[in-house]
Amino acid sequence: MGGLIPLTIRDLKRWYRNPVSAIVGVIQPIFWIVLFGSAFDIAKFGVRSAFFFEGAPDYITYLMGGILTIIGLFTGMFSGVNIIWDRRLGILQRFLIAPINRSSIVFSRILSSVVRILVQVVILFVVGLLIPDGLKIAKGFDIMDAVILVSAVLMISFIFSSLFSIIAVRMTKMESVFGIVNLINLPLMFASYAMFPPDLMANWLSNVAKYNPISWSAQSVRLVIINGSLSASQAHSVLMYMTGLLVLSVFMLLLTYILSEREIRE
Amino acid sequence: MDNSIEIENLTKIYGGNIKAVDNVTLKIGRGQVYGLLGQNGAGKTTLIKMLTGILKPTSGTAKIAGFDLNKDALKIRQITGVVPQDFTTDADLSGYENLKLVADLYGVPKKEAEERIETLLNMVDLYDVKNRRVSAYSGGMRKRLELICGLINTPEVLFLDEPTLGLDVTTRSNLWKYIKSIRDEFKITIILTSHYLDEVDALSDRLSIMDHGKIIVSGTSDELKKSLKGDIITLRVKNDSEEKIVENFKDAIEVKKMEMGDIRMKVNNSDVVLPELMKYLASNNISPESISIRKPSLDEVFIEYTGKHIDSEQKDYAKMMGFKQR
Repeated sequence: MGGLIPLTIRDLKRWYRNPVSAIVGVIQPIFWIVLFGSAFDIAKFGVRSAFFFEGAPDYITYLMGGILTIIGLFTGMFSGVNIIWDRRLGILQRFLIAPINRSSIVFSRILSSVVRILVQVVILFVVGLLIPDGLKIAKGFDIMDAVILVSAVLMISFIFSSLFSIIAVRMTKMESVFGIVNLINLPLMFASYAMFPPDLMANWLSNVAKYNPISWSAQSVRLVIINGSLSASQAHSVLMYMTGLLVLSVFMLLLTYILSEREIRE
Repeated sequence: MDNSIEIENLTKIYGGNIKAVDNVTLKIGRGQVYGLLGQNGAGKTTLIKMLTGILKPTSGTAKIAGFDLNKDALKIRQITGVVPQDFTTDADLSGYENLKLVADLYGVPKKEAEERIETLLNMVDLYDVKNRRVSAYSGGMRKRLELICGLINTPEVLFLDEPTLGLDVTTRSNLWKYIKSIRDEFKITIILTSHYLDEVDALSDRLSIMDHGKIIVSGTSDELKKSLKGDIITLRVKNDSEEKIVENFKDAIEVKKMEMGDIRMKVNNSDVVLPELMKYLASNNISPESISIRKPSLDEVFIEYTGKHIDSEQKDYAKMMGFKQR
């Protein structure tokens, strides 16, 4: 796939040279953790957090799985739609006349989003640990758990960057894509286990959220952060979620490859 | 001379019925600068986009340096250079970084790319500003950068699509200088599209006039001018006497009323006809607003073969807006 590496480097240069977008991308999840994470201090009522939040010592620790997943979702979404900027600025034409596979134009975006997500995951983890009474990682948390955590978030990014790359393959209006982003991001977040445990949800919403890949990622990350060493049933849950994410990622990436090779236009 | 480009019945239809390029057949010799002259919307850019693999033809085929457009699109992209009409460089990167990116996309080896970038930057006088972001470049500097982006892979064929569109007169003539030096130094086939007559006249070895997606006529600039056979008298009168004048001088090689209201007469010898014309106007009490005699020019060639001025769209707009015409 000639062109993948140079186009990825170009995308990363644009990212770190634009301090506003880079800083916003990092600060926004910190706001989520610090502000939203402090919104449910149920310990005040003498209730154990672990009872409501699936064994998590506090809501911030519970929320971390959801926030990391949402980082993957948003970074993926925007990496997908950014191709429209290249189209509108005329830069896409330079790539289309070059002797490279057309899919590398799209996959370079996906690859650069991997780097961006990794940076954000590290920053978020550090901030979560630094804030008073913040993130509490289970003692048994090891390298394998870290791999599960990062893989889950990256697969969410692959799924949604693929989806939005497909949408953006021929679109020229940024406004239309942002409309679609705004339309689907709220239901995707709230009809999932990203921020709230299934037991607190209305039954119908909990049943819908069961099939949302955001839930699969959030629950996988959460299980390894809260528990570290997983019980057999927890390991089975993580395996099921990760398999679902893997199948969906591979399907979406393949679809993106086929459509971007055939359909991408200036 | 062997051909670098052979186009056969190439057609592009948009939306089922809009023929942007209509059955174009053309042969372009190796090492030539070939001009495609036409108004905006004549089909020049669509033709270039098909030849460079950006658009798929509806029908027909073309061979570029022996490679078939429908079978070897990737190979054709490898051996051609393109300078599109719009800016395609990344404004957030420096001039050097843009060139390096394009070199990487074409798979130019690192050492070779560095040498080539330096040579090309020097050629268009951008070496000193190579590390400046392109967003800080002027329009002319950016166009020069675009020009050398198209040369980074040392192409066999270079497509220049309206290379001086939107540039001021001084920048245009500067850019011509660079295009001429490319022509002389690289000895490659250059396809130049333009709606500037002087540009095509100054830079092309041969040219074709395009109108409504079709090639109307082809030849060298001199051949096309000679094909007109006669001098052109253009006359504008104040009152509505155009029809009478056309009727009275119908023995000229050709006389017709143009879309902008001018009367255009093609005559064997303007030295003989002009006194007759002046006498006729005086005796019929017709006062001319303007009168000009021209030996055949590319402008006249364009009018002859398409029936309109190349810039008639702009003139119509100016008229509509109430601007004075020169």
